[in-house]
Amino acid sequence: MTKEKLVVIGGDAAGMSAASQAKRRRPELEIVVFERSPHTSFSA
Amino acid sequence: MVEIDAAQRKVLVRDLQRGDSAWESYDQLLIATGAVPLCPDLPGSDAVDICGVNTLESGLEIRRRLDRGGMKKGVVVGGGYIGLEMAEALVRHGLEVSLVNRAPQVMGTLDHDMGALVSQALRDVGVSLYLEETLTAFETRAGKVTGVVTDRRTLPADIVILGLGVRPNTALAASAGIPLGDKGSIRVNERMQTGVAGIWAAGDCAESFHLVSRRPFHIALGTVANRHGRVAGINLGGGYATFPGVVGTAVTKICQMEVARTGLQEEELRELGIEWISAVIKSRTRAGYFPGAGEITVKVLAERGSGRLLGGQIVGMEGSAKRIDTLATALHAGFTVEEMINLDLGYAPPFSPVWDPVVIAAREVAKEL
Repeated sequence: MTKEKLVVIGGDAAGMSAASQAKRRRPELEIVVFERSPHTSFSA
Repeated sequence: MVEIDAAQRKVLVRDLQRGDSAWESYDQLLIATGAVPLCPDLPGSDAVDICGVNTLESGLEIRRRLDRGGMKKGVVVGGGYIGLEMAEALVRHGLEVSLVNRAPQVMGTLDHDMGALVSQALRDVGVSLYLEETLTAFETRAGKVTGVVTDRRTLPADIVILGLGVRPNTALAASAGIPLGDKGSIRVNERMQTGVAGIWAAGDCAESFHLVSRRPFHIALGTVANRHGRVAGINLGGGYATFPGVVGTAVTKICQMEVARTGLQEEELRELGIEWISAVIKSRTRAGYFPGAGEITVKVLAERGSGRLLGGQIVGMEGSAKRIDTLATALHAGFTVEEMINLDLGYAPPFSPVWDPVVIAAREVAKEL
């Protein structure tokens, strides 16, 4: 069975908070974040 | 991100550097696409040096333009958080700053009597205010902005900052058939799940619930986005978390003057048909005799009859704004103004008068019950 995959659209406050929480709880989860700008979250 | 195929659980992604697109499959999808600034479609609105501010990159770009020098006159359109903070930034860069605002006072999230204090604070730092004026066009020369045209006058401008508010960035979600709610934000349940299986939403693109009005409510704030993201992430990581809602708390600062608000304001109460009473008090941020004590004005609103706290607003010097957190916590707790009077808050002369200004305001409202 392949790993479960979470895709996140948007790498600012909400997207990165969610990605980091999910990864901390389930290290085996594959997470891909897409962000349009060259910067990810700058204060989350 | 170009398209969501919810049935096949895949998204079409465009690589902006390479220019090609590819499908990416998912088991769970989180939409955190944020909000986009409102941009008026007016004559000249695509000219150079008309700037929105909603990303780190757009802020850096404004900074680079200002640092190049040669800019003397700045015009800010919109008197909300972005407009005020950018007006301060332009003043600090030595520009002559004008601010155009459609409403009678700046800070539309405050009642007019409290907003008037902020308007005055702007004038005191040298900002020229043009209130109750509507933006109608931009003057340009060779593709560069040279002026802002309102229904009453033309203001010369080397740089224009737009702070006209934002709207949730949800076109992608809508085209995938995901149900929307207040102001076009994505409707979510308490766990941040949308109406479509396997798809979640969080942040400025997602809806919240207003704990005072008990209605769905969209608010675009980084604080809310962080909490949305935390809850969505815990659930996506196999845990269980819920986001009960917001009370609409926000703070800002214009030069020396701190501004804060929470809960419902008069305009919202009128629309909801809630009868209210209110009090406005002036006090000090520290004991009156203590060095550095500054003025603070607090307004508290409560439901007529029950005395249930409905909201509060604060304008004042250093040490004012974060006092809103007492009112915000009281709103979460569903306190009446009478229950607020006996709150055991910290006091020593460097920090507060013996009665905290927010409690003084609550006492004044309670007298009218």
